[in-house]
Amino acid sequence: MKSLLKSGVLVLSLLLAIGLILPSGATAEKVIKIGAIYPLTGGAAAAGRELRAGVELAVELANSAVANVDMSMAKNAGITSMGGAKIEIIFKDHEGNPTLGADLAKKLILDDKVDGLLGCYHSSVTKTVSAVAEQYGVPMINGSSTSPALTTRGFKWFWRTTPHDVWFTRDLFEFMNGLTEGKVKGVAAVPKKDIMTLAAACEKTEWGSFVSEVIEQFSKEYGYDLKKSMLYAKEAPDLSSEVRSLKASRADVMLFASYTSDAILMIKTLKAQKAQPKIVWGQDAGFEVPEFRATLGDSVVGILTRTVFLPQVVQVKKVAGQVNALYKAKTGNDLTGASARSFTGLQTWVHVLEKAGSTEPAAIQKAANDLNIPGNELVVPWAGIKFSTTGDEIGQNTLGSGLIGQYQKAADGQIVLEIVYPFDVASADMIYPFPKY
Amino acid sequence: MDILLSSIVAGLLLGMVLAIVALGLTIIFGVMDIVNFAHGEFLMIGMYTGLLTAQATGIDPLLTLPVAAAVGFVLGIICYTGFIRFLLRGPMIAQLLGTFGLMLLLRNLALLIFGSEDRALHHGILVGKSFDIGMGIIIPATKLAAAGLSIAAFGGVWLLMNRTRIGQALTATSLNAQGARYMGIPTQRMNALAWGIGGGTVTIAGALIVNFWSVNPFIGLLFTMIAFAIVALGGFGSVPGAFFAGLVVGIITEIPGFWDFLTYTFNWEWMADVPMTSLKYMWVYLAYFLIMVLRPRGLFGWKQ
Repeated sequence: MKSLLKSGVLVLSLLLAIGLILPSGATAEKVIKIGAIYPLTGGAAAAGRELRAGVELAVELANSAVANVDMSMAKNAGITSMGGAKIEIIFKDHEGNPTLGADLAKKLILDDKVDGLLGCYHSSVTKTVSAVAEQYGVPMINGSSTSPALTTRGFKWFWRTTPHDVWFTRDLFEFMNGLTEGKVKGVAAVPKKDIMTLAAACEKTEWGSFVSEVIEQFSKEYGYDLKKSMLYAKEAPDLSSEVRSLKASRADVMLFASYTSDAILMIKTLKAQKAQPKIVWGQDAGFEVPEFRATLGDSVVGILTRTVFLPQVVQVKKVAGQVNALYKAKTGNDLTGASARSFTGLQTWVHVLEKAGSTEPAAIQKAANDLNIPGNELVVPWAGIKFSTTGDEIGQNTLGSGLIGQYQKAADGQIVLEIVYPFDVASADMIYPFPKY
Repeated sequence: MDILLSSIVAGLLLGMVLAIVALGLTIIFGVMDIVNFAHGEFLMIGMYTGLLTAQATGIDPLLTLPVAAAVGFVLGIICYTGFIRFLLRGPMIAQLLGTFGLMLLLRNLALLIFGSEDRALHHGILVGKSFDIGMGIIIPATKLAAAGLSIAAFGGVWLLMNRTRIGQALTATSLNAQGARYMGIPTQRMNALAWGIGGGTVTIAGALIVNFWSVNPFIGLLFTMIAFAIVALGGFGSVPGAFFAGLVVGIITEIPGFWDFLTYTFNWEWMADVPMTSLKYMWVYLAYFLIMVLRPRGLFGWKQ
């Protein structure tokens, strides 16, 4: 009897010990901390919401096994090479302010001890944040800043997945040449003299001012006449003198690089001033966020925007459709250039970590430099992700590509973006010329 | 030619809008010699009042003007009786720093409550509408309404100051506060009234401006600067001066338009490359500077 009691106590205490040890053993799994710095408030807050949702969805797919998504990240739960380690994102809000961004990066590195950084949308902020990352030797992946200069600084800890504005702007001029050659779906060849004169208005931080330079460069190279090129402050509460100046140039083609609130204001003012260009083109960003079409409604019909993702991609790319369905269930919106690229940014982090098998900065650096993600893993219509390690550009993805979309009114009255470039994947006839206000 | 005409028209319209922004500043200065640095913040509050009232109730933004006026009037009186009244006892520097502090307080309160996001009105009877009156002149309906209201407000204030007993009391207070007190004029109440009228006119301006400009908590500074320039140009404390100086400043902000006119009339290539639109407010501040140096009492100021 006594021995029975004794063994009973022994069993009980054993069970208790196991009970105490096991849960702590189960949580001992490593957590990888990544700091994500985005404009969650301020003029680009609408884009910030998209960026954040894209990252969050990618983290869900990375941390748990999700059925029916044909990408390796979704099939694994956590980082398998690190014993199923989970990714934790610490979001910070830079409000579009480069100085604040740099401070936040320091905080993330020194206080939160993050293993890597992700961000920052505005090229101006990415510039300062990546300088902090470089100084501390912390790896940073950038998914959506397109100023060409970011990857010409020879940084060792900075990698960019998105193509940059030199590619996108070349796309625009290729598109215009295609228009004169009758390559655009649904439009007969347009005489070059009809679209000969251009005018550009770009916001004046890092991103817009580089776009402005690139436009100037390409209009010379492709033989167009850039009548007017101006920079404006993205916080400007009023753009009527800018728009009147654009109108005064009597340009056939109007080109913009704008963030959210200024893009909306610009189009509103163009409409109020009854400007009559033949082509209106926006360099993504503000021209693509859902707020742009939600706010302006029918006034956006006919506007072109460059992007890297359009819902129409779903028709040619199965995995994009699968992720888009999950994103739509989560947010109510389709993926956009912003959310698809922030998703891809985090996905790149997952692949880098998987390859590195460690959070040691040196291991991550080597893994990123050797990375090669095939195109079929991605939601964006790129050939893949592979970073340049030599030459003028360091850390730039060499396999990216862009699209040009046009806002059109679908049969059900919805305003959708149709693909007009590249010509071989065009999803609808282009509206040309731009409808008169 | 159409570029020139449309620039002049746009400049005059904007000038009338800017004049009504400066009206409150010049009233407060005229009556009690206080420079209100928080003036632009009052305007910002007016903009938010118009925007939020319209969005919350679904009424047209134009109908929110009385609400904005009431908010500004009450706010002006509260600021005076609760704060400025005490500053008057201190030296001039205390008044300067005091209204500066009020500016920071209001701005940061707005930041706390509304966040730093730009907000704009997208619906309304006049929003986004414009009239094409030929010759390439396009008149946005919102600016036309604002200009009309500006004329009405200036007319109203001018009548108040010159044709009523209250106006005479206000003028007396501004000419000689001590003397006015001896004559039995309740100068404290007159000061409060000046703040009320000043606040009310500028919040009305705000509720109108939000029909065509977007608002964020930092917008006040731009308007404070422009209002200062207008008041300095027109002469501190002069109501008609503020109106005409507003028009002048409106025309000055159109210098880029005149530049474009010359550029395309004479087809001077180099002119198209000058970033004139980025510099449009520079000319306003330059005019401010010149007038301070050359004629400190302004174009219509009193000789003291």
